[in-house]
Amino acid sequence: MKTNRPSCRKLTGYAFDPSLSQKADTADINTIVYKVPWEDLYPSESEMDKVKRGQSDGKEYMAQGPGPVGEYVEVLDYDPTVSKFYEPVDLNDPYILAQDGLAPSESNPQFHQQMVYAVAMTTIKHFEKALGRKVIWAPRRLANGTEYQEYVQRLRIYPHALRDANAYYSPVKKALLFGYFTSTPADAGLQMPGSVVFTCLSHDIIAHETTHAILDGMHKHYNNPSNPDVLAFHEAFADIVALFQHFTFPDVLKKQIAETKGDLGAQNLLGKLAQEFGTAIGCYGSLRDAIGETESGHWKPKKPDPADYRNIMEPHARGSILVAAVFDAFITIYKNRVADLLRIASNGTGILPQGEIHPDLVNRLANEASKAAGHVLNMCIRAIDYCPPVDITFGDFLRAIITADLDIISDDNKDYRLYFIDAFRRRGIYPKAIKTLSTESLRYTLEPIVSPQTKHMFDIISNFLRDYRKEIMYETDRERIYDISQKYMGGGRHSLHKRIFMEFEDSPEFEMLTGLALSSGWANLGIRTAKKKNGSNGDIPGPSFQIQNLRLVSRNGPDNNQINQIIFSLVQRSGVIVRNGVFTGHYRPEEEKTPDGGFELWGGSTLIFDLDSLKLKYAISRPLLNIAELRRNNREIDRSRIENQYNFQNNELSLKANEYRSYFGIGLNSIMNEPFSILHQH
Amino acid sequence: MSKITSATVRMYRMGTGDCFIVKFYAGKEEKYKMMIDCGTWKGSKDHLEPYVVDLKAYVNNHVDLLVITHEHKDHVYVFEACKELFTKDFKVDKVWMGWTENDKTKKVKDWQEEHGQKKMALALASQKLQGILTDPAYREQLKTEYNGLSLLESQTSFAGALDDFNALHNSAVAGQYVGGLKGMEIVKKTIGKNNIEYFRQGDIINDIPQLNGINFYVLGPPNTWEEAKKEAGGKGESYQNNSKANEMDAFAAAVLADTGLNNDALFPFDDSFVSNDPASISSAAYNSANNQWRRIDVEWLNSSANLALRVNSITNNLSLVLAIEFEDSGRVMLFPGDAEYGSWESWHKIDWKVQCRNKKPHFTHDLLSRTVFYKVAHHLSHNGTADRLGMSMMDHKDLAAMATLDYNVIAPGWTGTMPNGALLKQLLKQTKGRLIVMSPDELYYDHPEDTIPLNDQVKKERKKMNAKELKEFKTNFTEHPLFFEYAIKG
Repeated sequence: MKTNRPSCRKLTGYAFDPSLSQKADTADINTIVYKVPWEDLYPSESEMDKVKRGQSDGKEYMAQGPGPVGEYVEVLDYDPTVSKFYEPVDLNDPYILAQDGLAPSESNPQFHQQMVYAVAMTTIKHFEKALGRKVIWAPRRLANGTEYQEYVQRLRIYPHALRDANAYYSPVKKALLFGYFTSTPADAGLQMPGSVVFTCLSHDIIAHETTHAILDGMHKHYNNPSNPDVLAFHEAFADIVALFQHFTFPDVLKKQIAETKGDLGAQNLLGKLAQEFGTAIGCYGSLRDAIGETESGHWKPKKPDPADYRNIMEPHARGSILVAAVFDAFITIYKNRVADLLRIASNGTGILPQGEIHPDLVNRLANEASKAAGHVLNMCIRAIDYCPPVDITFGDFLRAIITADLDIISDDNKDYRLYFIDAFRRRGIYPKAIKTLSTESLRYTLEPIVSPQTKHMFDIISNFLRDYRKEIMYETDRERIYDISQKYMGGGRHSLHKRIFMEFEDSPEFEMLTGLALSSGWANLGIRTAKKKNGSNGDIPGPSFQIQNLRLVSRNGPDNNQINQIIFSLVQRSGVIVRNGVFTGHYRPEEEKTPDGGFELWGGSTLIFDLDSLKLKYAISRPLLNIAELRRNNREIDRSRIENQYNFQNNELSLKANEYRSYFGIGLNSIMNEPFSILHQH
Repeated sequence: MSKITSATVRMYRMGTGDCFIVKFYAGKEEKYKMMIDCGTWKGSKDHLEPYVVDLKAYVNNHVDLLVITHEHKDHVYVFEACKELFTKDFKVDKVWMGWTENDKTKKVKDWQEEHGQKKMALALASQKLQGILTDPAYREQLKTEYNGLSLLESQTSFAGALDDFNALHNSAVAGQYVGGLKGMEIVKKTIGKNNIEYFRQGDIINDIPQLNGINFYVLGPPNTWEEAKKEAGGKGESYQNNSKANEMDAFAAAVLADTGLNNDALFPFDDSFVSNDPASISSAAYNSANNQWRRIDVEWLNSSANLALRVNSITNNLSLVLAIEFEDSGRVMLFPGDAEYGSWESWHKIDWKVQCRNKKPHFTHDLLSRTVFYKVAHHLSHNGTADRLGMSMMDHKDLAAMATLDYNVIAPGWTGTMPNGALLKQLLKQTKGRLIVMSPDELYYDHPEDTIPLNDQVKKERKKMNAKELKEFKTNFTEHPLFFEYAIKG
């Protein structure tokens, strides 16, 4: 009889990081078993073919195996500080398999490899579940040659890459670099290093950095700090994922809830825990600081202050405002979910009897917290599909959460959406151009009304997208998904790019929807000219724009409703010149040399098509054009956006320049700047 | 003996760096000549000689006292560059340094060794980085990468900044580290042979025979290493909030690996975990020709920037800080070297056992409130002058200041942080424009926006002096191509 392939591989790891294993009250909850989607971790036949083919044409292909090297990630334990490789772990070793992976150990690098693999894969699993599609890494940009970019199958993970209290996702190398450092004060001298702290053993840091990589694969423009929220959003989002991933492990919560005994303020406990998760390793607390503070030994939630959102600009500190807002919503959701349980348990008095809480109640409370955390995590991840492709703000994210949630859950009987809105409102995070803060006004315009002519063009696009769906629907190979999407997006004769290029030429309505310059006269707006091959008819010049992130979304809602959508983004850039704070004119990026005071302003639009009704469901745009002027038939780039971006990048950021940045010249736009470091030097 | 009634401070304008002559007078009679530091960021012997020649003529080839504040190139380099001029036909009666230079004591020697290793690590990290960046294979690889050339450019300028820090602390021959600064060695072994005195925080010197009526108060260096390590305070404490420096021991150990030092600290794991198979899967994957773009050989060396900043701050905080008081009037001249926040903060914890004159809660505060001349620490940088515990307390109506900043001779990286806008603003306000900068020509009041030339703003601020003050200032201030001089009434 044949045994079925298991659905998951069990791997032991730290729930937090090693430091909690040394504290008596947290030691026994610090070890958990991660259930990672099963991968064979030895080469399949098709992989062996690739290996052989690769050898013959000089392109080595790395197959699944020890490392661990799987479908999504390759852990490569090279330590450049000593120029050594550490032996890779073989998770298929029978002894290792028999005991759910290696036991947690700081001194065994093979356990480190297992830990980064387990947490990275858990994070990927959460995303795939929420998004309803495969995670694909950002492609690698190529310098020259015919191909513009190439597919990257695996995120590379270097568990021991730096000797510093730092870790980051490198968008250039498509790799996670983790550092380690000695924690003793320098007095002990170089000869006596104290305990070594490994950032690759912290669940939060691994989940955080993996999320940066996943988000970069979905929205590559989110590492361009065009406004104060962009990098802060990257940080906050990565932290939200790390944080709520913790709460989806109920075992971690049970013990803590049991210990609170008669205290009904279990919501405080969750906040306190959330913060402790962050501070354990010492260098990673700031993102959670906005949640609460400890006063004379008692933790209490921090009162939201709308001034923070106006004044705090450093990405981690600013991101903490968003983390706190989402956490606040979670706590309200949790409180409401457990209100009935507490009434039952206290006979309606609200006061629990002294002593231990009933273990059943502990289980129920922990499960509710875990369930609520799962929901919040899903809401946040799903929202990513509903964000504009460039220049995101926290307000956009709120609108995306509400819109995405309305799409999948029509009846919000637990008021999740309201709690989110309230938590954002209390922190002064208001989306622009919204008159009231209600679910209805926050939702992006559903099925924008268009003229029959435009409607016809959308029909053509929708039909084209149906072909894409047919081709991709049952495709499970990530590289094939990437290739098919690329094929449909750009390049060839029948691509989406070509269709939009041709169909929407001189369509003021489409310009109004996307805010992008797609009609004649683009060159005066600082937009590069692109030439499209038109077969025997010669080349047709047109405004340059890009199509990104074509993806199929199929999700099932709780009411048995199914969502079938195709989403893609259009992005465009305009070269603008600002001298002494005043906009003076345009240049065309790449066609002309960047002049003094020149920089790029990006606009974009995320278009969501409903495949069942063949309609454009949403156009979520960050316009490049000034829409108000466009209504009066004037086409000009939005000046306020130009000036805001200029002021932010030149004043806000340069005023806060610190030693590191000023002495070493690694500024905001320096290519050496790693935007996703847990420890920002600038 | 008649009491000292006035002093002149002469700042030589050799380039960013300190070189001062302070002369003390009783009436019109010159009583005592004191020299503080002699260094600049860089400069050839030919460029520097005229200054030294003028200096020697000015003091008649003899100073009573030479003060060396700390071991940085911009404070000792000219002793190396113009060694002959200083070792021949030049007499120094006494040399003063901070206790942290007294390597005859074991504690200091141990610490010097450790600090020396960090400086060496800085030098070796810089060399390693240069080695990779000049490796033809690495450069070829980057050429094939998207944006590879601009990355190389940026990395090269980073390496340049790192090497500037290296040069500030170490001597090198043909790019190879050879040890500490030569200038310092010349002062210790030749100029100051057998006549160096070391001082601690809290020391008071009032027994110099020629200096009747003058008290020296030693404010720094701090008496503990911990205080020296603190480079910047929080908001409102120093002019900018800096991130906490990391502990770099593991990093330094890795950089120093080739030297045979610290091998115990080198490997984080047991040897048995190290793969010695050159043909292993990992090694093949890392070294494969397709995967060159994912290599990480250079990234870890970027941590050296933190090491550089830290070593730099510690050395600055070890500056010998002197407050010189005219006993009768209580007026004070403050020479803090390049002390940063950690040092400034520690001054306020000194147990002076001296009565305050100005009814301030602490004697250091009292001294600061009586300061009429301030040598700006660390070339107008953001953390060279403490805010709440420094600048804000120097509120004497006669305050004048000198700053040793010169954009013609400066490390490129320094121009980003010097001058600090907020500090400049407060200094100009509190001195009513009596701020004398070594070379104000290319400086701007609103750095880094750079729209208001510093000279214009200085003129504007000087209008705030009343007629009498302005007249006095014009009499007291002397301009010369080689130096600026300012006379201080005792």
